[in-house]
Amino acid sequence: MEIIYVLIPIAMIFVAIAVMVFFWAVKSEQFDDLDRQSVSILFDENTDKPGHLPTPAIQSTAEHDDIAAQQAIKNQQKGMPL
Amino acid sequence: MTYPSCFHCQEPVLTGQQFVTRINDRDELMCCPGCQAVSQAIVDAGLLSYYKFRTEPGSKQNALVPEALTQFSAYDLPEVQQDFVHSEDNVESVSLSIDGITCAACAWLIEHKVKQLAGVSQVLVNSTTQRAMISWDKRKVKLSDILGQISRIGYQAAPYQVDEQELNNKLNSRKFLLRLGLAGFATMQVMMFALALYTGYFTDLDVQYRDYFRWVSMIFATPVVLYSAQPFYFSAIRTLLSGKLNMDVSVSIAIGGAYIASCFATVNGTGEVYFESVSMFTFFLLLGRYFEQKARQKASVSSSNLHKLVPLTAHLVTENGQEEIPAKKLRLNDVILVKPGEMVAADGVVIEGHTNINEAMLTGEQMPIEKQQDQQVYAGTINVDQPIKVKVTALGQDQLVAEIIRLQELASNTKPAIALLADKLSRYFSGTILTIATMTYLVWQQISPEDAFWVTLSVLVATCPCALALATPTAVTCATAIFTRLGIITRKAGVFEKLPQIKHVVFDKTGTLTCGTLSIGQTQCMADLTKTQALAIAAALETGSRHPIAAAFALFADNALVAEQVHHEVGFGVRGRIEGTDYLIGNAVFTGARVDTQDPTQKIWLARSANEQLEVLASFEIQDNIRQDSKATIEILKQQGCRISIASGDSSGHVHQLAKELGIEDVHSGLTPAGKLALVTKLQQHTRVAMFGDGINDAPVLAGADLSVAMGSGSAIAKNSADLILLGDHLSRFTQAVAVAKLTTQIIKQNLAWALGYNALILPLAVTGHVAPYIAAIGMSASSLIVVGNSLRLLRVKV
Repeated sequence: MEIIYVLIPIAMIFVAIAVMVFFWAVKSEQFDDLDRQSVSILFDENTDKPGHLPTPAIQSTAEHDDIAAQQAIKNQQKGMPL
Repeated sequence: MTYPSCFHCQEPVLTGQQFVTRINDRDELMCCPGCQAVSQAIVDAGLLSYYKFRTEPGSKQNALVPEALTQFSAYDLPEVQQDFVHSEDNVESVSLSIDGITCAACAWLIEHKVKQLAGVSQVLVNSTTQRAMISWDKRKVKLSDILGQISRIGYQAAPYQVDEQELNNKLNSRKFLLRLGLAGFATMQVMMFALALYTGYFTDLDVQYRDYFRWVSMIFATPVVLYSAQPFYFSAIRTLLSGKLNMDVSVSIAIGGAYIASCFATVNGTGEVYFESVSMFTFFLLLGRYFEQKARQKASVSSSNLHKLVPLTAHLVTENGQEEIPAKKLRLNDVILVKPGEMVAADGVVIEGHTNINEAMLTGEQMPIEKQQDQQVYAGTINVDQPIKVKVTALGQDQLVAEIIRLQELASNTKPAIALLADKLSRYFSGTILTIATMTYLVWQQISPEDAFWVTLSVLVATCPCALALATPTAVTCATAIFTRLGIITRKAGVFEKLPQIKHVVFDKTGTLTCGTLSIGQTQCMADLTKTQALAIAAALETGSRHPIAAAFALFADNALVAEQVHHEVGFGVRGRIEGTDYLIGNAVFTGARVDTQDPTQKIWLARSANEQLEVLASFEIQDNIRQDSKATIEILKQQGCRISIASGDSSGHVHQLAKELGIEDVHSGLTPAGKLALVTKLQQHTRVAMFGDGINDAPVLAGADLSVAMGSGSAIAKNSADLILLGDHLSRFTQAVAVAKLTTQIIKQNLAWALGYNALILPLAVTGHVAPYIAAIGMSASSLIVVGNSLRLLRVKV
């Protein structure tokens, strides 16, 4: 049982770290727009630069990614409890 | 008959194959030139992912986009910019509120479209608050270009007036989240150790380990008591200083007392510890407050967003011509030039010119009103036909609009208050609990003085009103979510308790029961023309006119027909030449038509002129369409036992005709804003009244009614004083809202009954000293969870 004198303080350090991470996340405005960030990963960023046209190779992977992402959405929707 | 739906906005396409955009090698149908232009702009910018990932259809494009693009230049005036642009070196930044954001894909679309402009350094779009934070280099790009870029893809961006409440709310919300998060983390840990301590009641736990667990619990509970629970102490002190009692007083005493007593118990190794109860009820109470705070913040954000800063500029006539200045720099007796399509910048008198002015926003009257020399024009109204010169006679607070806003403020201050059930309860609750706790202490002092303190403490802890504090906020949060799904913005607290009490509903006419836009009804041809031809000729003549009737004809335009030598005759109509023939369109006098005086409908006529002779070709019936769901909504409301009235600013016979069609007997027409308010105030003496409206002239009555509903397409001032805003203008949503509100009130009552019932049950046990810390903790969390679960049932409502 003496081991808890070591393990509990370690657990307390982890909790302290978790709280600090949470405070940092709130202060850096990560909780301000919860609708948005959850889907931002789905958009490809090829159109980022003005006048920049994606090369064919990139385009094809981008399309592939899009299809995969769409599939992911569909699967998610199917798996969602109604 | 079913119509295909528009690819962009999913509204039915009534115009056939006229508007098409090529998207991903397929021709997609569009419903109007607006949607077509917007989708083309999206395709051209290479932002097709928007159509792939959007979860909601785009918003319908009402205005023709190119016209909207020209309006932004006023935002570049330095006097206008100083109100909302933050400038540092050459980098300027602004926060814009954006209309038309329906899902996360919209935010992505706007960010990428704006980033394509050279000179824009940062764009952050928040789809929850519907705002964008944009920074740009003022040497490379202008604000008007950025606004234009956003409007090209179909969103309306404008700076907004942040209300003070919102600034406070934002800071508060973040702090609440920090406090709540900390309390959550700590509670989990303390509960873990508490479980170990509970087992100690039943098995033998070494005193050495027991004290160790107590110390660890104390370390975790301390930040909760000292940081997370602060709002309760401040609120308690504030109410005590004002000589009253509220729930926070008993909460603060319970938290403070239990914590200090537990600390002594830990240090001395005696008595009981209540660390888990203290942290847990701080967490649950904060949760309730957080929900309330969130709802309030949402309301203040949406009301700030509605308060758009539109720069009003005027063309000041000077000796050397004219110059464009912001309206706030105008002085009395200045002469301004108001061009067709522009807004009148200040109240004044026409000194030169003859035109029609659209005063719909002030009076609710839809047809433009003729204005000649020496007649009064009002700020905010729109010049329709010809340029006029106006001498400014009133500014700022003396203007008619300011008068209406004052009336609105007065009405909202004298509005009858409906006390909320939970507020009433909590007032009595604290008093009762504190009295019982004191009596318990005194009685136990007689029986066994050493137990008196601990028993009293367990009374305070066991009766802590967690479930009571959660009862209303959780139900309201769930109901607000349903309202959002229905397309209803909830702007004020207490709406859910007020809705089921409504027994009388008063509607405004124009823009509320009707769509507020004119359309062409029956077309009668009297000569050798088909209906399509007549409509196409009329549309060609009306092209370029800003009269509301002209907009109704725009749908029937045939691009092959072009009118030349077009001449607008104010108060009569339009004259022009098409393919060598002279045509006239306008009222009966202008076109030489014979009028049937019995005919209640409004008509305009098309005539051909040859050799000074007028030949009437066709007549068009002009009507303001009744909203599709008006009749059904009114019938449902009547079935539910509501009385229905119309209060309209329109004085024409059209009000009575409409009332007859909808089956409404109580009709009041030709009312001024003050008249509407007086009517509703009178009705309110007997019953609870809900008011529907959309115009500036409805603002005072909306502020004064027990419950007010503004149409989403209505004026900002009307929306500012409303409790609810119907997005998409579906009246039928109101009856659904009433049903949801009834259910919500029911759930709130169940929650309150349960919370009070639990307290009534535990109180005798606590007073007699039978409540151990673990029973208090379990009972409290169980009753809180039951309340939350009961509220969540609301989310399963199908709407």
